[in-house]
Amino acid sequence: MPQDMPPVGGYGPVQYKRNLPARGFRPAFYLLGTAVVMTLGFYKFGQGVREHNELAREKMWSRIHLIPALTAEEDRDQVRRYLADRAREKELLGTETQVYNSNRFVRPTFAVTPEK
Amino acid sequence: MSARQPRFNRDNLIDTTPLPDHIPKVQELGASSAPLLSASFFIGARCKAYNDDYMMCKNEANGRGEFDCMKEGRKVTRCAASVIKDLNEHCLDEFRAHWQCLDNQNQQLWNCRSAERKLNKCVFDKLKLEKTIPDTPKGETPVHLRVKNTFAKN
Repeated sequence: MPQDMPPVGGYGPVQYKRNLPARGFRPAFYLLGTAVVMTLGFYKFGQGVREHNELAREKMWSRIHLIPALTAEEDRDQVRRYLADRAREKELLGTETQVYNSNRFVRPTFAVTPEK
Repeated sequence: MSARQPRFNRDNLIDTTPLPDHIPKVQELGASSAPLLSASFFIGARCKAYNDDYMMCKNEANGRGEFDCMKEGRKVTRCAASVIKDLNEHCLDEFRAHWQCLDNQNQQLWNCRSAERKLNKCVFDKLKLEKTIPDTPKGETPVHLRVKNTFAKN
């Protein structure tokens, strides 16, 4: 009995590849697009950071211009309270005590309240 | 319980004793934060010399600046008060519009550029004071003069 043999001329080709259409563009385009979007975004971000820095500078200088006026007012008030305190002590006790061993101005820790 | 009443309250803490007579009196600024912020660059433009003098005096007073720099402090206050007085006299509407805008916009200068442009123009025309931001990088438009902004609404 003759053995089973392939047909004359061999078998036909077997389709092992999927036959689907490739969607979209080539991958290189997507890579390029991402790079463009990222670059643009980082550029705008950098611009924003620089503008933020300038705004911070503006705010800082507005405060710097005001600090002397505010400090002067505060200091005048502190001196007024200090002198009033000294005068009160002189009137009540007849002494002028020096609390600290220096003649610098020390902001008071406790507030002495005048009697009504 | 002790019978003693707590004394640290706001009624008792107020000490209204004025300064003694040998120290010259000066009217305080009396402006709240928004007008001060609005006027700050003009105060800086006109009073720079007084401000620097006062800060230097305090820096070199060795801890006694509160007493020793009162004269400079009075000059600073008078100068700042003169700026606010001039603003009120010459540019009252623009000034008011700007600081009210600042009050409404969380005191963010960049949200009030349109009002600020009008104020700056008025102040420059009438008082010859110009807003400049020191240390702005060279070749860049100062941020308050820019037409296109990332953050500002206008």
